[in-house]
Amino acid sequence: MTDGMTPTTDKHLLARASEGDPRAIRTLYDRFSPRVYAVVRRIAGDDDLAQDYAQEAWIRAIRALPTFRGDARFSTWLHRIAVNAALQAVRKAETRRKREAPAVDDMMNTDVAVAPSHGDAFLQQRLSKALDELPDGMRRVLILHDVEGYTHEEIGDVLGVTAGTSKSQLSKARAKMREMLCALDGELREQGVESWSI
Amino acid sequence: MEHLTTETLARLVDDVPDTKEGAHLVECSTCASELEALTNQTRALGSLPELLPPRGDWGVLEARLRSEGLLEDSGTLARLGLARTPSWVRMAASFLLFAVGAVSGATWADRAYDDSGSVAMAEASSLDDAAAAVQAAERTYVQAMSQYREMAARSGTDLDSSDPISRYAALEHLVLVSQAAVRQAPGDPFLNGFLASALAERDAAARLVSTNTGGWF
Repeated sequence: MTDGMTPTTDKHLLARASEGDPRAIRTLYDRFSPRVYAVVRRIAGDDDLAQDYAQEAWIRAIRALPTFRGDARFSTWLHRIAVNAALQAVRKAETRRKREAPAVDDMMNTDVAVAPSHGDAFLQQRLSKALDELPDGMRRVLILHDVEGYTHEEIGDVLGVTAGTSKSQLSKARAKMREMLCALDGELREQGVESWSI
Repeated sequence: MEHLTTETLARLVDDVPDTKEGAHLVECSTCASELEALTNQTRALGSLPELLPPRGDWGVLEARLRSEGLLEDSGTLARLGLARTPSWVRMAASFLLFAVGAVSGATWADRAYDDSGSVAMAEASSLDDAAAAVQAAERTYVQAMSQYREMAARSGTDLDSSDPISRYAALEHLVLVSQAAVRQAPGDPFLNGFLASALAERDAAARLVSTNTGGWF
């Protein structure tokens, strides 16, 4: 994924933004808000929470902007802030209430065809729905690894677990996701909708 | 024949199978196709698109950034010596401006203000148009703020040093009114921004009251 910034505009824009220049901050927001929103939305699993988390991420990022030294790409730095903000908010919410994931039958459905269909809006919709219903712990690891491309070591740093735990959680999350997608496909078939995107 | 578990197959999306697992995958088409499905699922997750934040998100964020002092004051305010005006006073001015617009029968969305300060419908067709609209809105906002200061002076209120409890009560009222307005027009960025500012200022005022009263609040 590209950074969305060129080296020449990068330094000047960030310098202006770190001084609180509204136009510079708006430019950063316009460029990066889809990425920030996407990651916090998937971690949150909920639209309303996602908006709050994204706002919090941006506030933190703008506040921390004067400390950004350019060692990493700005998008990487911002992305990490967004992930941390969302995870922290989720942890806070968890202390207030534990969400229960919906029970899914333990089954292995082998009838689903295996043709991938990238860019398929229907498939993306199903994946997003299954992601939202995944238990929180599994969802975090799955999103960070399979969606956002973090390594297990990076996930360990962010979540405060070992790389081995992250790896083990990932296998469980993928398996659960697979079961949920199969269950979704089953529901659709019962409704007479043919669904065999994965 | 005993199949590999889904969890094992999920691990094999990244890892090389050991001898026993590899041999099973060669012989068992069910597990092989399940592994392929899991691989496709992983690939599809990596291709999920970015998501656009909800409409009005910037307006809310901008208000929060301003309330936390992370956005610098606009040039016009600074030139007129109003940059140091407390943010809750500016909020009250915004509220006044909003109230005037509502009373005059303005629609909730896509508003712009002309030079005379009255509400007018407009659509910016270029950057210059947009900049002119912003400047006009800014002038109207400054006028409203001055007007609010005059009203406060006539009523004998010192805006810069009014007592925190009165300030909290006033802000609470603003929050209630703006919440009602947002319920009427949930997608309006101006109203959402206004509500976010009001909430932030009210919370700050509550903390101040709490501190000044020995934490009873």
